[in-house]
Amino acid sequence: MAEKDALLAELARCVLEMEDDAVVNVAKEYVEAGFDAYEGITEGLAKGMEKAGQLYEEEEYFVPELLICSDAMYNGLEILKPHLKRDDSSKGCGVLIGVVEGDTHDIGKNLVKIMMETAGFDVHDLGRDVPVSEFIAKAKEMGTGIVCMSTLMTTTMGNMKKVIDGLVAEGIRDQFKVMVGGGPLSTAFAEKIGADAYTSNAAEAAKRARELVATA
Amino acid sequence: MKDQMTPMERATALAKGLPVDRLPCNPNVANGVARIYGCKISELSRSAKTLAQAQVASYRYFGYDSIRIFTDLFPWAEAMGATVKYPDDETADLDQPAITDVRQIDSLRPADPYKDGRLPLQLDAMKYLQDEVKGEIGCSCGIVGPFTNAFFLMGVNKTLSMIYKNPEAVHKLCQVSLETVKAYAAAAIDLGITPAISEPMSSCTVVSPKAFREFSLPYLKELVDFIKSRGKGVVVHICGQTNKIWNDLADLGLAGLSIDNVASLAECKQLVGNKVKILGNVDPAVVMFSGTPLDVRYHTLKCILDGYDSPKGYMVMSGCSLPVDTPKENIQAMMDTVREVGYPICPERVAELIQDCERRLKQQ
Repeated sequence: MAEKDALLAELARCVLEMEDDAVVNVAKEYVEAGFDAYEGITEGLAKGMEKAGQLYEEEEYFVPELLICSDAMYNGLEILKPHLKRDDSSKGCGVLIGVVEGDTHDIGKNLVKIMMETAGFDVHDLGRDVPVSEFIAKAKEMGTGIVCMSTLMTTTMGNMKKVIDGLVAEGIRDQFKVMVGGGPLSTAFAEKIGADAYTSNAAEAAKRARELVATA
Repeated sequence: MKDQMTPMERATALAKGLPVDRLPCNPNVANGVARIYGCKISELSRSAKTLAQAQVASYRYFGYDSIRIFTDLFPWAEAMGATVKYPDDETADLDQPAITDVRQIDSLRPADPYKDGRLPLQLDAMKYLQDEVKGEIGCSCGIVGPFTNAFFLMGVNKTLSMIYKNPEAVHKLCQVSLETVKAYAAAAIDLGITPAISEPMSSCTVVSPKAFREFSLPYLKELVDFIKSRGKGVVVHICGQTNKIWNDLADLGLAGLSIDNVASLAECKQLVGNKVKILGNVDPAVVMFSGTPLDVRYHTLKCILDGYDSPKGYMVMSGCSLPVDTPKENIQAMMDTVREVGYPICPERVAELIQDCERRLKQQ
C-alpha cells in the first residue's frame, strides 16, 4: 500500500508542480503496478488539480500555471483512462454534459465526463460555451436522462436556469435529472434555479448521478 | 440637471486646480453607442462615419467626459493576420490567431496603420470625430497593449503556456506587437487624438506580477514613453485585480489609471493616489447592467466618496466597458448622480445621500 500511496502522491505532485512530462511515467508506473486507475484519477491527478486551484485562489498561481497543471493532468489521464474498469450498472442511461454559454473553462466538466463514463453512463459531451438552445435540442433528442451543466463564472450562472426553464417550456423537465457544478455554485443556488443536485467534485458528481438514477 | 461646462472646459480647469461644475464622469458606454445611435454593432466596423457618429450621438445624449474610437480588442492582431468574426449585433471576437506555430513568428510583420485591416477605417473615424466635437471634448482612441496583442497573434492558451515553455517567443510576439501599436498611436496622434491603452492580459487575475514585469511592463513602458514624447498623456486600463502592479503602473507616469470593480478604489487611492489620477470603478455587470437606477446611484456615490480626495485627481467611471444592452436609465442615473453631487465634493453630504440610498434599498 505504501507504494500505491507514494505513487498517488507523486501523481498529485506532478500536476501541482507543472511536471507535464514527468507525470506520464509516473502514471505508467502506477498502472503497471496494477493499481486502480479510478483512484489514480480521484486520489492522484484530481487532488493535484484541486490544490492548484487553491493556489490560484491564494494568488500564488495564475492562469499560465493552471494551464500547465491541467496539461499535466490531461497527460496523466491519457495513460490512466484505458485502464478504467467500466461499471455497467448505469448502462443505457444518457448523460448530457456541457459548460454553459459564455464560459470556456472546461477542466471540471472534462473530469466529470470521465467519471460519468466510468460509472457506466452514456455521455454526450456538448463541449464548452454551449448555447441554451443546444442543450434543449439535444435533450429533446435524448428524451430522458441526466443534464449536467458547469460554469466557473458568476456572470454565466444565470444560463443554467435558462436551460432548466427551457426543459420546462418543452414539457420534458420531468424526464431529466439536472445536476450543476462549478466554482461559484452551491446547493442553495441549485435549489434556487430548480436543479436536482449540486456536487463539488467529479467523483461526487458520478456517485450522485447513480443515486439519482436509482431513485428515479 | 444641465452641465455648466463642456468636458474640455472641465478637464482644463481641473488640470489647473480651478473650480468646476462637477467631477468628470465616463460611464464607458463602448459598443452600446450603437443602441443609442440606432445601428448594428457590426456597422461600427464597416463604416468610419457610422463609428464616429454613433460615438457622438451617445456623448451628446448623456454628456459624459470621454469619447473614444474603439470597437474591440482585435484590430491590431487582425491587421497582422489574425481573423475576426463579426456577429451582426454583438462585439467582434477573435476567430483565428495570426499564426499557430512558434516557427511562424519570424514571418509576422508590424501592421501599417494606413493600409492593414480596419486600422485605416478607425483612423478615418477619428477624423470624423474631430470634425464633430473638436474643442468641446478631448478625443481619444483605444489601443491594446503589446502584451495583450501578443496573445491574439498566437492564441491565448498557447501564449499563456509559452510564458513557461518558450519565453523568448513571447518576447518576440510582444516586440512585433509593440511596433504595430506604436505606429497606430503615432498615426492617431498626428490627427490630434490621444491614445488610451487597454492591457487586460496583464491583470493579476491572468498572469503573475512577476510575469507582468518580465513580459508586459518593458513594452508597455516603451509605448507609454513614446506617446508621452509626442505630447499626450496616457490612461491605462487593466481588467481584473491589479493591486500588486499598481506601483509599477503609477511609476510609468500615466495621466490616469483605470481600475476594474474587483479592485478596491480606496486601496488604490491610498497606495498610488499621490502618483496618478484614478478612474473607476462601478461594477459594469452587476450594478450597471443588472441593477436599478437606485443601485447605480448608490454605487456611484460610494465610488465618489472613496475617490474624490485622491491627491492626483479622480474620475467616476465604470470598472470596464459596459455590456451593450445596459439600460439607458442606468447610464443616465450615473451621470445624474455625479451632477447632483456637484463640486467641490462635500463628503458629509455624499455620506448622507449614501445612507438615504441604503434606506430606500432596504425598503425594496
